[in-house]
Formats: sequence, C-alpha cells, structure tokens
Amino acid sequence: MSKVKHKISFVLNYEKTEHYVKPNTTLLNMLREDFDLTGAKEGCGAGECGACTTLFNNKAVNACLVLAIEVDKAEIITIEGLSKGRELDELQESFIDNAALQCGYCTPGMIMSAKALLNRNSKPTENEIKEAISGNLCRCTGYKKIVEAISSVATRNDKKESMNAQKGGDTE
Amino acid sequence: MKEFEYYKPSTLNEASEILSKYKEEACIFNGGTDLIVRMRDEMTKPKVVVNIKEIEKLHEISYEKEKWISIGACVTLNELSKCKMISEKYKILTDAIHNIGSIQLRNLATMIGNICNASPLADSATPLLVLDAKAVIFGADGVRKVLVKEFIAGVRRTDLKIGEIVVAIEVPIYEKSIVGSFHKISRRKMVDLSTVCGTVAKVNGEIRIALGAVSPTPVRALRTEEYLKGKILEAEIIKGAEEKVVEDISPITDIRASKEYRIDMAKLIVKRGLMHLRDSELKWGEQSEA
Ligand SMILES: Cc1cc2nc3c(=O)[nH]c(=O)nc-3n(C[C@H](O)[C@H](O)[C@H](O)COP(=O)(O)OP(=O)(O)OC[C@H]3O[C@@H](n4cnc5c(N)ncnc54)[C@H](O)[C@@H]3O)c2cc1C
Ligand code: FES
Ligand code: FES
Repeated sequence: MSKVKHKISFVLNYEKTEHYVKPNTTLLNMLREDFDLTGAKEGCGAGECGACTTLFNNKAVNACLVLAIEVDKAEIITIEGLSKGRELDELQESFIDNAALQCGYCTPGMIMSAKALLNRNSKPTENEIKEAISGNLCRCTGYKKIVEAISSVATRNDKKESMNAQKGGDTE
Repeated sequence: MKEFEYYKPSTLNEASEILSKYKEEACIFNGGTDLIVRMRDEMTKPKVVVNIKEIEKLHEISYEKEKWISIGACVTLNELSKCKMISEKYKILTDAIHNIGSIQLRNLATMIGNICNASPLADSATPLLVLDAKAVIFGADGVRKVLVKEFIAGVRRTDLKIGEIVVAIEVPIYEKSIVGSFHKISRRKMVDLSTVCGTVAKVNGEIRIALGAVSPTPVRALRTEEYLKGKILEAEIIKGAEEKVVEDISPITDIRASKEYRIDMAKLIVKRGLMHLRDSELKWGEQSEA
C-alpha cells in the first residue's frame, strides 16, 4: 500500500464501474473531475452547504466529506442518475413546475436530499420536508417554493396510494 | 489535502499494529467529518490514514441486561438515533445527537468520533458525562475502560496512547428512567456548532449537570450539583443554582461568543434544565417521594 492510486469497484448511477483513485481525493472531486458528473457542486467543501449532496448506499451524504476510496463496493447515485435518458425524475419535473430554483446552484443537492427523504418516507409532512433539507443552503429562493415542489410530489404519492387502495391494489 | 497512505484493516489487532508502527504519523479515520476538513485545511497532515470501518464488530450496538448498553465506534449518529433502546432509555443523548450538523453529516459522523475529537463543544459529550459513560479502549495490552470525563483530557486531547482504538462507549443502565433535557445555544438551528450546550438530568436520584463550550473540556458542574443536593426546586433555589454555576466554568471569548455571553447562556441552561426537571417531577408526582 502506498501513495499510488488504488483500484475501487463500485456502482455509479446504476452502472458497474472500476476506477483508480489517490487516497487524498474526495468523492466530490472524483465525480466532478474524473467522471464529468458536475451536478454535485462544491459550495464550501466542508460539509456546511449541502450543494454536494449525493446518495451513498441510498443515504444522503456530503460528497465533500467522503474519500473516493471509501466508496469501494458501494452504490453511488448522483443527480445525473435520476433521469432516464431525457425523461426527468418526478422531483426534477416538480422543481421546474413550481419554479423552485433561481440560480440553480443548490438544486442538485436539494433534489438529492429530497430523493433520500422520499425513498425512506413517501408521504412526508411539511416539517419532515423542512428537516430533510435543513442541511442544504439556498441563497436565492427563500426555500418556500422548494418545500412546495417536494410537497407536491409527496401529495401525488399520497393520492396514488389511496387510489391503489380503493382499487384494492398493492400499496407498496 | 496532502497525500497519505491508506489502510483498511479488517481486525482490531491489525489496526492497532499499523497505528503502533506509524505512531504520531498515523490517524484513525472513522466518519471522517472532522478529519477530512482538518486534512483539507492542512491542520492535520497524517502520513498514514487507518480507516476502521471495515472492522465489523465496531458497527454493533449491544447490551448486557441491567448493566450497560454499548455503542460501537463506527455506529453513525443517524443509526444511533434510530435505535429504540437508546431513545427510550437515554432521550437526552438522542436529543443531543439530533442537534449535530445535518442529516447528510449524521449519515457519516459517529458519536465516538465526536468524543475522540475532544472539542470543548462536542454535543454528545454532556449527556455522556451525566450518564457516567465509559470509553472502551483496545490496545496491544488488551482492553481498558475510562470514564468519558477522564478520557477527554484537554482541547483536542484524549487519554489515548499510541496503538489504541476506542472500540465502543458503554452507557450504564439505570434502574429508574432518566428525566432530563439537552440544550444547545447556537446562532442557527441546524448545521451550527454550539455556542454553549448542556444537559441537566436526574440520574440515580441525583441532579446532574454538564456543560459544553465553557471550559477547555465539557465539564460536570459539580459545585452546583452539590448545592442542589437534598433541595426542592423552588424558584429561589433555581436562582441560587444559576449563580453557583459561574464557579464551575471558565469560558473564553472566541469567534462564536464573548465570555460574558457564555456565562449568561450557561446560567440560562441551568435554569431551563432545572425548570424542566421540576415540571416533569410535578407531572410524575415524584416531588413528594423525594
Ligand atoms: C458541517 C459540520 C457540522 C458539524 N456540526 C457539529 C455539531 O453540531 N456538533 C458537534 O459536536 N460536532 C459537529 N461537527 C463535528 C463532527 O462532525 C463531529 O465531531 C463528528 O461526530 C465526528 O465524528 P466522525 O466519525 O466523523 O470523526 P472522524 O473525523 O473520523 O474523527 C475525529 C477524530 O477522532 C479520532 N477518532 C475517531 N474514531 C476513533 C476511535 N474509534 N478511536 C480513536 N480515535 C478515533 C480521529 O482520529 C479524529 O482525530 C460538525 C462538523 C462539520 C463538518
Ligand atoms: S460542498 Fe459539500 S457541503 Fe458544501
Ligand atoms: S437557487 Fe440559487 S442557491 Fe438556491
């Protein structure tokens, strides 16, 4: 073991990936510099702003506080992994419909925090939404429209579920 | 960030050997939330980084009936919050942990990292102090246990010797359920460090108080505790305790607040904490029992 690059194997946006990294590279730098996945932003580089929020084994983390070498054998999902081709994720659509962004710098991180929330709780309350994005800083919007955008996806989930229940369908 | 050699041992023995070999040049890497920022700013420049997260048993929460609950070194703060046994028995600890950083940070950071970092404002420290929790330490000579109070030796200084690793924190199980509250005074509600923090609780029938960010290490307010012994929490006594706590602390002025403000906030925490105790005792009708 030395300062040379180490081989890591992980799943990046649903694709098996092998890569060589130096131990002193952060996950954020690897994503941006080596994979051109520039959705995750470096706002502060120190865990304070949430602009780099990425899913690490389905949990939201600050990619600037993870070493790239730590993601060996793990699964990583970035904002780029949410859309299917040109078809956007429902959260992305909702941010557009609700005009929940201005400069857009915080948006990928916001959406990844919201995604992690909806993955663990498909029908969050407004307070749960606020709590979920409390580690994400936005200098433009004042948060109101962001909360609305996430809420409207949550409400839709709720409606979908009650419709399924009425049909006697599977609610899972 | 400077370059370093990276090790990911899968046993404690292996980890301890690497740490002993490289001595001061090696650093334990747990959640990494303190360490990465320090390495980025080149305040810490280790030649060797030892990631202990591959050691499976460090991820466990276990317990010995009627004795203690043991929290493994690599259990993240969010994993710990989700543990029912902990939130039922030690709500003061869960509340403190919930106040650390953000969700993203708590998915990485550990409580043991918070303690080993030995910051005067470590949020998990004051509940652990009032609970008389112990650090369980593994080293070449076996396992030893030290009270968290003694383990945190100074600003960013611990009792750890070369080659040693904290494997868990053990919290005693108390017969009576613990009533108490955790308080954090900070500029913002989330993602902010404590200007002053503290825990006031009744443990084993005694009122215990611990405060953070008012001394080189988080401290127990022993003089105030002594003053409160056998007293009923009337307004006058609470006022007396607020005055007394000034003798227990030695705050400084820094970027977050002045010395004077910290003294006022320490008093406020004592007041709020004791009022909370008084109100919950009235609710449970314990006052007549005492
Ligand atoms: C944006 C941000 C917000 C924060 N907010 C708060 C806050 O609100 N309250 C608060 O108290 N802290 C806060 N912190 C500080 C930090 O996140 C916590 O102290 C965290 O709990 C550290 O845990 P970790 O596992 O990430 O530690 P690491 O960074 O991995 O380690 C910290 C130190 O402890 C040592 N260490 C770790 N594990 C062991 C072990 N098992 N044995 C021996 N030594 C060990 C390491 O060598 C290192 O020196 C914040 C940090 C950031 C970046
Ligand atoms: S860049 Fe990671 S939290 Fe700000
Ligand atoms: S839209 Fe500009 S920072 Fe949030």
